[in-house]
Amino acid sequence: MPMLAMAAVMLSVATILITWSVMGGFLKTLIESGKTLVGDVAIVWPNVGFAHYDKLIEKLEADELIASATPTIETFGLVQLPDDRIELISIKGIEPTSYTDVTGFGDTLWWKPITKPTPKDHKRDDIRLDPINEPLFAEMEANGKSMSRLNRASGVVEPAGVIGIEVTGLNHRTGWGGYYPLSPNRALSNGQVESLDIFMPRDGTVGITVLALDSSGRPIDPVRQTIPIANEFQSGLYEVDQGTIFVPLGIIQRMLRLDAAQRVSKVKDDENPFAVEVDPETGEIRPKTKEVVGVDPARVTTVLVRGIDSAKLEDIRSRIREIYNAFASEHVGEVPSAMQMENQIKTWEDLNKTMISAVKKETGLVLFIFGIVSFTTVFLVLAIFWSMASEKTKDIGVLRALGASTPGIAWLWIRYGAAIGIVGSVSGTAVGYWIVSDINAIHDWMGRTFGFVIWDPRQYYFIEIPSDVDPIKALIVFVVGVLTCVLGALIPAWHSARMDPVKALRFE
Amino acid sequence: MGMQVQERGVGSTVAGQPILSVRSVHKTYKLGRVKVPVLHGVDLDIEPGEWVAILGASGSGKSTLLHLMGGLDRPDKDQLNPASVKFREMELTRQSKRALDRYRADDIGFVFQFYHLLPELNVLQNVTIGGMIKYGRLGYRTHRKEIVDRASGLLDRFGLSHRLSHRPAELSGGERQRVAIARALINEPSLLLADEPTGNLDLKTGESILDAIIEHRRDAGLTLVMVTHDERIAERADRVIRLADGLIEQG
Repeated sequence: MPMLAMAAVMLSVATILITWSVMGGFLKTLIESGKTLVGDVAIVWPNVGFAHYDKLIEKLEADELIASATPTIETFGLVQLPDDRIELISIKGIEPTSYTDVTGFGDTLWWKPITKPTPKDHKRDDIRLDPINEPLFAEMEANGKSMSRLNRASGVVEPAGVIGIEVTGLNHRTGWGGYYPLSPNRALSNGQVESLDIFMPRDGTVGITVLALDSSGRPIDPVRQTIPIANEFQSGLYEVDQGTIFVPLGIIQRMLRLDAAQRVSKVKDDENPFAVEVDPETGEIRPKTKEVVGVDPARVTTVLVRGIDSAKLEDIRSRIREIYNAFASEHVGEVPSAMQMENQIKTWEDLNKTMISAVKKETGLVLFIFGIVSFTTVFLVLAIFWSMASEKTKDIGVLRALGASTPGIAWLWIRYGAAIGIVGSVSGTAVGYWIVSDINAIHDWMGRTFGFVIWDPRQYYFIEIPSDVDPIKALIVFVVGVLTCVLGALIPAWHSARMDPVKALRFE
Repeated sequence: MGMQVQERGVGSTVAGQPILSVRSVHKTYKLGRVKVPVLHGVDLDIEPGEWVAILGASGSGKSTLLHLMGGLDRPDKDQLNPASVKFREMELTRQSKRALDRYRADDIGFVFQFYHLLPELNVLQNVTIGGMIKYGRLGYRTHRKEIVDRASGLLDRFGLSHRLSHRPAELSGGERQRVAIARALINEPSLLLADEPTGNLDLKTGESILDAIIEHRRDAGLTLVMVTHDERIAERADRVIRLADGLIEQG
């Protein structure tokens, strides 16, 4: 019977540890993916953006806590795909070099030559592994990093975008968690379907449409531009990868009219707004040119910042606030004030708060449910110990006859419970640790042997089951396992201690 | 209430204060709603070094009287004629549970008919456990050598030195009872309470067990109260008390 109690504790401890580690690993992987394209801290002034960002970046990069900073523009628009579907998309204008310095952008590019297969690609089916494709993928990787692509028809290198791997629907997600490109089909007006020989990073283009806003936030005209695709990216967050495109910053600045512009004089009250003049070069009559009175500098909606590795996130944010305050005081009236920007300087955690808190809540919920299930161990131990105490009634009577005190008898059972708890918890922690450490190998073996697949990369976005064995978590689970057993032993201990020694001795 | 005394041998004439004195002891058990009186007012004195045999049929209250003497049970409460079980100067009926535990650990030893050895422990451990209970887990560490030496000595004397590491299941009935006696004697009690110690053994083994107890009693000056229904055993005692229907027989 003690072995049964031990086995129950072992299973409970192992189950909780595995659940917590897998959910923790899931959360950790998600958080890391969420951070990949954000950097540490973002200075955000959406829609109309803010000017003089180059000056701000200079100031930021001069600080000892800041490693690098990059300007970006974040907006929404429509994307027209090769099969003519139109989808809503998040558009990010970036400068690829500095953006790679701040974020993990370069590493997210999917089409690049690789030498080591992804964890589940046991048959080396990944086309990126094929040496024949190496030059093509090397070119695509370089294109992605520079966000440009050679137009083979014109021979001109054009600015290009990098699109999320799940946006086009032209990448088939395989059972081993990779992608195989498909050719798009386009419906023709005559009812036929045309199959296009397009591989997005080689010859694919998309059309993006954005709605520019004036400086007061009012919409102007929609603007459309065709963007060649230099590469596709996978950040690890499905929501991002199925609805995001990166385009060169200059393009989106022009489309949104956030680029540098000449400022002209206003029409005065006594001036004819329809006045004309003769163009001295052509001799033609044209509307009278307004006097250029200045230049409106280019704007961005976001500056992303990466701190040095040793710096704490909060310290980085505080320092950025200080730097922005100084910057704002140098550009009063041209950039949002320090007070306006107070809540717009956000850490990557703030930016992913909804997603992180949702997963944290789910982790808590799953642990709570498993905790309740595992709490039944208390009753199992109680039932087993009660049965053992009944079996040992005569022995208890003998011990009482020898002078053992009631607390002594109770303590005997509690110690016994603790011993079973310790042995059960040690085994449970060891088993749990082993399973979590090798969870993917065990899962693969189960799949091969029994055809039993729980984690299918076609359904889950991560290739492997994420897991994170935290020694603190293991210690907590271990201690709770021991306490559970002691708790289960308490009532039988109390029952034994209160047993009438005479009745115990006469017990048959 | 009086008592019938069959005086025999040197032990019956021990003078001075009794080591154990029982007065007006009634004991009633409740079986559900039914009250079953077992002892109806027992008076008894046991002198130091004496061997008293309590003789009686099954259900006469012999074991109940032994349990009351051993502080395992308490007599019925009676305001007018309060019961008294006195060990030397200590009134057991007024002692706390803790004090009675101490009394059992320090001053008395119990031997049962069915040995009641702990099956998980080996022979030596079954004997030393008495010392462990007396000194507590921490105190036992200090006295460990002394207790183990004494246990080994007792087991050697009872012819079990070659069985120290055996479990009770590996022993014969006689060997088990010898282990139980050694356990009862490990704390050098002044009073040994034996409840039909040979009742579960064949005649020859029973005799040898009795010889072992008597020999030890003589050497250690031990007081012995032995419950039995065997007249032949009772004949060897210093004094025989006959118990019938909860009363000591007058005769």
